[in-house]
Amino acid sequence: MTELVRVTIDEHEVHVPKGLGLVETALAAGLEIPVFCYEPRLGAPIGACRMCLVEIEGMPKLQTACTMTAQDGMVVKTARTSAKSAEGQNATLEFILVNHPLDCPVCDKGGECPLQDLTFRYGPGNTRMRFPKVTLEKPIPISPTISLDRERCILCYRCTRFSESVSEDGQLVARNRGAMSVIATFEDEPYTGAFTGNVTELCPVGALLPTQYRFEARPWEITTVPTVCGMCPVGCNTTVDMREGKAKRVRSRNHPEIDEGWICDKGRFGFTHLRAADRIVDPIQRVRRRGFEPVTWEAALDEAERLLRAAQGRVVVALSGSETIEQAYALAKLVRQGTGSHEAMLPEEVTSALDAYRLPLAAIADAQAVAVLGDVPLAESAPIVDLWVRKARRNGAAVVTDTAELGDAERTVLIWSGPGGRGGATVAQLAERLGLAGKDGCGAFYVPATPNGRGIADAWAAASDDEPAGTESVGLLIVSGDEAAGDANVRALAERADAVIAISMFHGLAVGWADLVIPGTSYLEREGTYVNLEGRLQRLRRTAMPPVPDELEWLAQLASRFGVQLAPYASTVFAEVSERCYGGLPFGEVGERAPLRGYEGAPAHVDPPPLPEAQTGGEGLRLVCYKPLFSGPAVERVSELQFQRPQAEVELSVADAKRHGIATGDDVTLSGAGANVTVRARVSRTLRDGVVRMPREFAGDLRGTVEVARAGVPA
Amino acid sequence: MAETTIGFEPPAVVLAGAIEEPLTDLASYRAVGGYAQLEKARAMSPQDVTELLIQSNLRGRGGAFFPTGRKASFIPTPDKVAKPIYLTVNADESEPGTFKDREIMLRVPHRLLEGCLIAAYAIASKHVFIYIRGEYSREYEVLEAARVEAAGAGLMGDVTITIHRGAGAYICGEETALLESLEGKRGQPRSKPPFPAIQGLYASPTLINNVETITNVPKVLELGAQEYAQLGAPPDSTGTRVWCLSGNVARPGAYETPHGITARHLIYEIGGGLPEGRELKAVMIGGSSFPVMTPDELDTPLDANALGAVGLFIGSGVVTVIDDRTCAVQFALRVAQFYMHESCGKCTPCRVGTRWLVQFMQAVEDGTASENDFDTVLDVCDRIIGKCLCVLGDSAAMHVASWITKFRDEFRSHLEHGGCPFGADSSLANLFAPVDQHHHTPVPQEVPV
Repeated sequence: MTELVRVTIDEHEVHVPKGLGLVETALAAGLEIPVFCYEPRLGAPIGACRMCLVEIEGMPKLQTACTMTAQDGMVVKTARTSAKSAEGQNATLEFILVNHPLDCPVCDKGGECPLQDLTFRYGPGNTRMRFPKVTLEKPIPISPTISLDRERCILCYRCTRFSESVSEDGQLVARNRGAMSVIATFEDEPYTGAFTGNVTELCPVGALLPTQYRFEARPWEITTVPTVCGMCPVGCNTTVDMREGKAKRVRSRNHPEIDEGWICDKGRFGFTHLRAADRIVDPIQRVRRRGFEPVTWEAALDEAERLLRAAQGRVVVALSGSETIEQAYALAKLVRQGTGSHEAMLPEEVTSALDAYRLPLAAIADAQAVAVLGDVPLAESAPIVDLWVRKARRNGAAVVTDTAELGDAERTVLIWSGPGGRGGATVAQLAERLGLAGKDGCGAFYVPATPNGRGIADAWAAASDDEPAGTESVGLLIVSGDEAAGDANVRALAERADAVIAISMFHGLAVGWADLVIPGTSYLEREGTYVNLEGRLQRLRRTAMPPVPDELEWLAQLASRFGVQLAPYASTVFAEVSERCYGGLPFGEVGERAPLRGYEGAPAHVDPPPLPEAQTGGEGLRLVCYKPLFSGPAVERVSELQFQRPQAEVELSVADAKRHGIATGDDVTLSGAGANVTVRARVSRTLRDGVVRMPREFAGDLRGTVEVARAGVPA
Repeated sequence: MAETTIGFEPPAVVLAGAIEEPLTDLASYRAVGGYAQLEKARAMSPQDVTELLIQSNLRGRGGAFFPTGRKASFIPTPDKVAKPIYLTVNADESEPGTFKDREIMLRVPHRLLEGCLIAAYAIASKHVFIYIRGEYSREYEVLEAARVEAAGAGLMGDVTITIHRGAGAYICGEETALLESLEGKRGQPRSKPPFPAIQGLYASPTLINNVETITNVPKVLELGAQEYAQLGAPPDSTGTRVWCLSGNVARPGAYETPHGITARHLIYEIGGGLPEGRELKAVMIGGSSFPVMTPDELDTPLDANALGAVGLFIGSGVVTVIDDRTCAVQFALRVAQFYMHESCGKCTPCRVGTRWLVQFMQAVEDGTASENDFDTVLDVCDRIIGKCLCVLGDSAAMHVASWITKFRDEFRSHLEHGGCPFGADSSLANLFAPVDQHHHTPVPQEVPV
């Protein structure tokens, strides 16, 4: 137990842990000390803005509450009881406002601006500044997604501290000094990376603003809807600001166990895919040999019914992994109970082997040793997990890429990101070998390929206990979602199927090869639930009015034609799944900040599926392909994110590059399995020897083991 | 570059033996007893060396006048801390009017190094960093040559001395900004606490002292604490000072005398007085960071307590003579410009306040200010003082405010005159910084309402 000390603040007495910051100590007494630069998530306080000046008995000068900590017997006077402190606060606000433009009426921050709020409460009512204010070029697009207004900037250094101490990319810097100080990107390069948008939320004024939101809405016109991001398996908690039924902005909704208030740029800026030019709003049917035309929903459902019946129990469902549990269950119930077909292409392998090693993501930060395994960078597969690992390292943890280097740390966490994870079975096996089950602060994570792979597997299983018949021929393939529509294996299966129904958001993906395309919705348009990589059940809300009916509505109608009872409401559908998978938890109890409930009766040992046969590739290097963060059907449709799209590059370890005489920037040819691809090389200091890594979209038909040589030089 | 005049009134301590000829090489320094005190110190216990410094009441010569021995005693002993302990010497002499550390480094580099080694021994530090102002190239060369020679002679023991050159920022003379810069970061001060004695360089216990302070250390051992404590103006202003006499004076130079002489004595007896026919207007005493001294305060002994009694500071030993050709407003403006330029930009009152002060002073100089502005600017100074992260903002405000309060009539005459009555005749004319660098585009004079 931490020692408790007695602190008096404005004649309130509180007992708080010794060393607690005075801002928090005041909060314990129910008092607010205003701050601008102070933000505990950014590391040690810096005391720069001087907004939190307080009087402390025994100290002649005013002190910044953010940098002072609770000591026994301390007597603190805030502006409420100390004229000196009030004068200090008033002075700080006067100085901040001396050069701050009076453009609140046209500033996007207006109405939700900490500077505005604190000025109303603590500031001077007028200005004594009668000289020209600092004027600077503005706004500066520090990237296609973020605009910087240096005149509004009050130099609290929150953004540079984020870049330095949270995302650790060092791209945002302060340039010049004194009154000439400005925030800039290093060498004026665009601010890139997975986490840049967080600075727009950290900024306490209208200096760093999301360009997408410029002049789009006012705080009093928007409805903020709490939901969960569906772009990756982390499931960051977000709020979506909605105006007139349209999503205008995505912000973090701090879930301290999952995301600590950070979200990635894909989750933040990717929402404009909702308004993609090729969004499908009417069902599309193949009418003659090569013709496609929009049809009514009634006609589409008739056609769907006809195709389902024609398949005679030989229906296969290919799922994307981005469906809600309710959508997947509704589809499963229709197909399994309505047509007696039980064959599914689930988006990925799922195992319950990990359930004995479940932890909230936040536990990574407290680990003493973290093994990041599997060769795919966490920033690409589950970005927020990357931030947790960085935080663990800053807290002193050893971060290794091989379990052999773990040592004998008390709190050990394993994370698997990449191929070979077998749905988590591999990392669960390692965890069992290390004896991590039931040990405090120890656990294992597996980064699935899709946002809701586990939930979909649960939903599919909950719809029926019957086994697939194992027939070879495919009467009807139902392709659910754009990720499945873009998958090569699904497309191959479609070639063999008698007929194909695709549920798709975008014209480019399924139109042309599916017999019937039914318009789909985005995770931002749905009510429902997801299970994230921790095994945490979370709630999605509709944050934009979809231009098309919800999947549950037409699935319920279609199901009734097959005598299958299905409610068109997420809450009722969830109840059926919950009965079998989530202990009967009601929809309304999932929670706005969902707790990690885990799965009941998780066994510490599950026989993992057999290892795939070892690759015998001789001299070559093992090719690891991955799906980059900024890829996929949604990102491809967001023009302002195109600058973040991956480069056609292959990464090599330092030793492998040296062995092959390859330097960063060289063109190299990768060959193997009868295919070859030429891309630029990048030497990586973090990649293991014997592995080459590249985004899947550039790998063509390469797989397994490859030979690498400089382009034009025979291997 | 013209050689600086060097002089002393006995007893010379810091510059002892180096008044006529510099003691740059080891042999000549040894000839005056050099490095004998290091040997003596190493035969004592580290605690006894610190105790000696406490007894001598040697105080910091960088400006704050903090007792050196006490500061050293704050450093935890090696058995109490798992981290290395560092000694850092502040040789970033940048206070306007200060040029004593450069003379010390040029004339008695080995005495500084001997002081470093003794102080390092006292706090069990194995690594000493000397952070030297980037512009001091000759000083760096002399000091580096001395370091190499001393190391070659085996005097270092297990201590490493690293001389690090700054990149030109006044703020890096502030101890925590110096540490940031030394760590390779942007030179901006840190919030205290934690104090450097607990978390200084690389988050390890660090003792930071000025060059002149450290150079005194061998002499404290040589003379003994009791005798040293009798020098100068005991009990608090013990020992000597190397005064930096400059400005409108016949013989400017670095003069070492015991503490407690008067500014009048220094200016008129040692410095030969003002140029023919000029009258004394003010003295920038202690540096530009402190209030200015008026002629009626000239007989105040240069002793921290006596100066403190009249609201002045001994600072870094600056005595800059200002005669009647200088416009008070121009002087205040020039100093304000200096601080605006050197403000690091980290904390709000200093970053914004220093620029605002320049704008006020410029308005006075141009004759466009009003009587009300004087009250506003004094209030703005009050709002800077004591509210900043470090003392840079306080310094700017204190100095500028002292000109306004002590020379209010001359300030007022600018308003009555519709501009500066001195104009181009002021000795500061043409010495101004380009004032407003803070506009991307020219600011329109008339803002439409």
